[in-house]
Amino acid sequence: MTLGTATDTRVRDEASTRSEAGLDQPWVVVVWNDPVNLMTYVSYVFQTYFGYSESKARKLMLEVHEQGRSAVATGSREKAERDTVAMHSFGLWATFEKAGSE
Amino acid sequence: MAKPFKSTRRGITGHFEPGEVRLLGSLFSDIITMLEPDTAPSTDPLAAMVGVDAEAVRPGDSALQRLLPDAVRDDDAEALEFRRLTERSLREQKIGALRSSALLIENNPVTLNPEQGRLMVQAFNDVRLVLADRLGIETDEDAARLHGIDDFADAEDVEAYLALVYNFLTWLQESLLQALLSSTRTAR
Repeated sequence: MTLGTATDTRVRDEASTRSEAGLDQPWVVVVWNDPVNLMTYVSYVFQTYFGYSESKARKLMLEVHEQGRSAVATGSREKAERDTVAMHSFGLWATFEKAGSE
Repeated sequence: MAKPFKSTRRGITGHFEPGEVRLLGSLFSDIITMLEPDTAPSTDPLAAMVGVDAEAVRPGDSALQRLLPDAVRDDDAEALEFRRLTERSLREQKIGALRSSALLIENNPVTLNPEQGRLMVQAFNDVRLVLADRLGIETDEDAARLHGIDDFADAEDVEAYLALVYNFLTWLQESLLQALLSSTRTAR
């Protein structure tokens, strides 16, 4: 990911934590890092599409940025497929997989 | 020069110069052309309605691949199957956002509700993804290197010109995002 030039959006105060995959949630949506999408944009997408709080969205965004990938949502296969296509419509690089396959 | 987007009581407002409207309009229209499917919709009415495209294949062009990526890793057959079920409607969704944005920027000032703002921020992003591919931006370092190019007087070749356009789009997108996020905070 990259920083925009309009304002200073340094957000390094939160350590990244565990992935979101739970045992009862068989499918996960994974968002991958890329050099084009703005950090602000990735946070905005997580807030507007998934309805996550600003702090949760930022935590997941930093996970993508620093670890290269983050499991951002879990659920049934149908939900994971739908969420993946939604991420693609926003231009994020996302895939879906069975939980625990990584 | 365009003014930064602002969150106001009337919605999000912005302003473009005529040359910028032409530039953005032609970028949006180029990407619409890229995204238009090569094949006609299915003659099976049900397949056409749900957007199934049995002919879809992974795009050969790397920029198009970035706009329409594989949804499954390390399993080409599964990825292709999923593409056939979903790619046509994804293309249509993206084209819709680009078309709306092309119309919205014709207004002066540009006034957006949150939904229109979402479509425009998506359209800016798709333009940036294509320009980044043409500029060979593959790592965070590549992206950082281009940040410094911000004076149109420096645009001596196509590469430098594309980098300037890319940086302009980045600036616009960041400014629109700040306005959208600040209007979301106010609404809460």
